[in-house]
Amino acid sequence: MNRLIQEALVVGLAHRLHANGSWTGETHLQKAAYLLSELRDVDLGFNFILYKHGPFSFGLRDEISAMRGEELLDSVVPNPRYGAQLMVTRRGQDLEHQLQKTMQRYGPDLDWIAEKLGSRGVMDLERLATAMWMTREHEGASVRQRASALVRVKPHITLEDAIEAVEEIDALLGERSTARPA
Amino acid sequence: MAKRLHEVRDAIHVFIEFDDDERLIIDSPEFQRLRNIHQLALTYDVYPGASHKRFEHSLGVMHLAGRIYDVITRPDKISDPVRATMPDPSQNDHRYWRTVVRMAALCHDLGHLPFSHAAEDELLPDGVDHELITWKIVHSDAMLSIFNAITPPVRADDVGKLALGPRKAERLRLGVGFTPWEAILAEVIVGDSFGADRMDYLLRDSLHTGVRYGHFDHERLLGTLRVMPEPAREDKELDESGTEPVLGCERGGLQAAEQLLLARYFMFSQVYHHATRLAYNTHLKDFLKRWLPGGTFPVDVAGHLARDDSDVLVAIKQAAADREAPGHDPARRIVTRDHFKVAYEKRAAPKDGRANDEDHHGDTPADVEALARAAANRFGEDLVAYGAPPSRKRPPDFAVRSRDGRTSEWASGLSDVYLRLPESPDAYVLADATIRDDVRRWLNDNRETLLDEARAAKIEESEKGVS
Repeated sequence: MNRLIQEALVVGLAHRLHANGSWTGETHLQKAAYLLSELRDVDLGFNFILYKHGPFSFGLRDEISAMRGEELLDSVVPNPRYGAQLMVTRRGQDLEHQLQKTMQRYGPDLDWIAEKLGSRGVMDLERLATAMWMTREHEGASVRQRASALVRVKPHITLEDAIEAVEEIDALLGERSTARPA
Repeated sequence: MAKRLHEVRDAIHVFIEFDDDERLIIDSPEFQRLRNIHQLALTYDVYPGASHKRFEHSLGVMHLAGRIYDVITRPDKISDPVRATMPDPSQNDHRYWRTVVRMAALCHDLGHLPFSHAAEDELLPDGVDHELITWKIVHSDAMLSIFNAITPPVRADDVGKLALGPRKAERLRLGVGFTPWEAILAEVIVGDSFGADRMDYLLRDSLHTGVRYGHFDHERLLGTLRVMPEPAREDKELDESGTEPVLGCERGGLQAAEQLLLARYFMFSQVYHHATRLAYNTHLKDFLKRWLPGGTFPVDVAGHLARDDSDVLVAIKQAAADREAPGHDPARRIVTRDHFKVAYEKRAAPKDGRANDEDHHGDTPADVEALARAAANRFGEDLVAYGAPPSRKRPPDFAVRSRDGRTSEWASGLSDVYLRLPESPDAYVLADATIRDDVRRWLNDNRETLLDEARAAKIEESEKGVS
């Protein structure tokens, strides 16, 4: 994916998440970008590995860092007790407006993911994204098998929470397949 | 039988100790090659003292990584929330991972090309970088025979994973995962905040360049490092029970950590992003593209090990003296110090509140690259270049443990130094000395128009494939 389009989509995702009530820290953006690629087939061009808090992309981390340097995103600390928030700058908004075709094409996908995830906290997002990862890793496995695999790599997550997350992923995947003609 | 300990004097750490197994790595041709890889490429043409090599740096990283490992696994430093993540200090597992950490630290730079980072991008085939070569060397027969002879045998995958870290494993699609413990150990070696690699190169480069404000109180910082629960990331995260452990520092080490951040800033602004160093990198890269067969370095282990800085320096000297030799002009520029000069420097956004106004943006690196391209079109491809470091990463936020040891907080919430750390200038248009003033005038007179045109063209080009 062209880097300018990649930047516009990251900006678009950040601002929609924030508008839907998200804290919009790096973890939120990481998990939303991963689920955007898996649930909406919008591949931002980042590789993900199973790392801290589930699927994680160092490529996206570096891109966020570069975008801060390019004044497309700003890192603000509204409360010193918590992590920083990533806010879209005026320059970032301009970029989104300039890439009209891109936003027409991908805007509905960004809206969908932001509506689904905007109100979710980081722990929720970690469970969901890791459940998605396990669903891809263990194709055809039952809910319980995938949930058990999740708990093996994230032992601080209970089996009940893992089952709930896997079931939600199945529902979201079902929603995608009914919403889009084959 | 007990292992013998050996020691060597070091300019930073005074003495570095190593055992018989580590000596086998150090004495190997793969590691000895690092004696001929300059740590800072041609920076010695700017700072004459900067002629140190990857060899002593790698020893230093092993030394620091071992010390960090010893600190964070000290029983009195391990708190209940993270205990389950770490091996029991009295068990074999603990000793195994200590061996792996030091071996990985020793091996982390084995894949470096001649002249380190200066020549890396563009001189390797797509999808290959020096870390992939490191991975291959760690898995070579020569290294495997050393790892397998250790008691207990060391797994090459473990050494490779910690030497590269998750960032490179992801980029190279190695398909390896990291447990929370392995992620922390990789942080110990190649972490952006407190990695032994970073600490050693800042201290060592500072000493050898003479840029003294690159120094920081690493002894204090080392003593305060510990594994701790990650601080809350948002207001919905009520406690630490669901978080994963991270490498951070105690509250008493915050000032030393801030000093490291400032050291990093000064070293980047004074050394790593120095415009003349970037100009020499450009000339070196231009030379290598013309001199190397096919314009790229070999990526097989044998081919890689056969080349170091000494081969390249001889070739530069010969090419500089022979007008017909491939790469004569860039070689001549290096040898005669006829390097490019700064014609334009990335403009920062104004600090007076106008930064959000449409007309008062600073330059982005992409802007400077576009200006360099426009100037090259007008003045000649061989006379103008874009000078920038290969990567620009801001230091990540890090965890700080409270004085009572009960909670962790982010440095961004505690440290004004972290929050207000300035960005060093890092992108330039470089030009031949004879036309530098013309290029400068032309760019300053036409900056707005050139940037508007470049941005519009880039947007149009980018959206071509979007339907």
